[in-house]
Amino acid sequence: MSGIEAVRKIVETETQAKRITEEAKSKAQELLERAAVEAQDVRHAAISHAEQQKAQILKDTREKAEADAGNSDMETDSLLQNYKKMFEERREVAVKKAVDLIVGG
Amino acid sequence: MWAVSKLAESLDKLHNRILSDARLKAEETIRGAEEKAKRTLDEARAQAQRDADEILSKASLEAESIRRSILSSRIRANRLRVLDEKNKIVQNVLKTVEQNLSELASTDQFQPTLKQIVDEAVDAIGTDNAVVRVGFHNADRKSLESLGRTFPQGTRFVVDEKPIDGLGGVVASDAGGKMIFNNSIRARLERLDNQLLTTISSTIFGE
Repeated sequence: MSGIEAVRKIVETETQAKRITEEAKSKAQELLERAAVEAQDVRHAAISHAEQQKAQILKDTREKAEADAGNSDMETDSLLQNYKKMFEERREVAVKKAVDLIVGG
Repeated sequence: MWAVSKLAESLDKLHNRILSDARLKAEETIRGAEEKAKRTLDEARAQAQRDADEILSKASLEAESIRRSILSSRIRANRLRVLDEKNKIVQNVLKTVEQNLSELASTDQFQPTLKQIVDEAVDAIGTDNAVVRVGFHNADRKSLESLGRTFPQGTRFVVDEKPIDGLGGVVASDAGGKMIFNNSIRARLERLDNQLLTTISSTIFGE
């Protein structure tokens, strides 16, 4: 083997070695880029899911609160009916007491 | 010949060593990238979980706020309905009371009541020369004048054609008109306003 051949072989080997490391760097870069995209997807998915849960929580809360408020309406309706009944039953007595208070002072 | 063979062998070794180093470096590069990618994903998952937890935590607070707002708003509206209804009822009773009081002169209560409110007015003025003005709806003038004669001499009794303050009553003053005591039914209603409302409310609502 001549000296020139030996040098050529070493240059070829260095070139091959460089290609191996460059390919590895390229693959590593791809890995990192994929990971970055996946990380972004993971965050988006988690936030999207949480936002959906939030919307459902608020919807359920509104419905439950409206139902509870409806109970308050019914209780009030019942109370007002009772007041009307009491008014009819006690009106004359109340008027008499009030008149007596004014004229009796 | 031996030297050439040795050189070839050395070159082979160098070739293998260079490639071996390159492969090792490549493996390290990829392993490093894999580890970094894993860390990136782990951190992203952890951050995503924190973000989601924060969103849900805020949602929980917002939900409580919405619930309170809906309930308090409805409860406030219903309290107003109750107050409005009670007020209507009390006003209705008051209207009837005023109607009954305006017709006082047509009832058996009139004479003793008139005597009493005239006495109160004269006492309030506290003079022997009081001027007493009376006026009631549908009152018998003669009956009023006869009552006037029961007061001490010096008391001037004036009968108005119209009911005083709309509902009738008595106004006493001293001779110069500087001191006046309004004992009309309207004035008595105003003076006894709080007691009146309490009486009506407690009678109707039992409160």
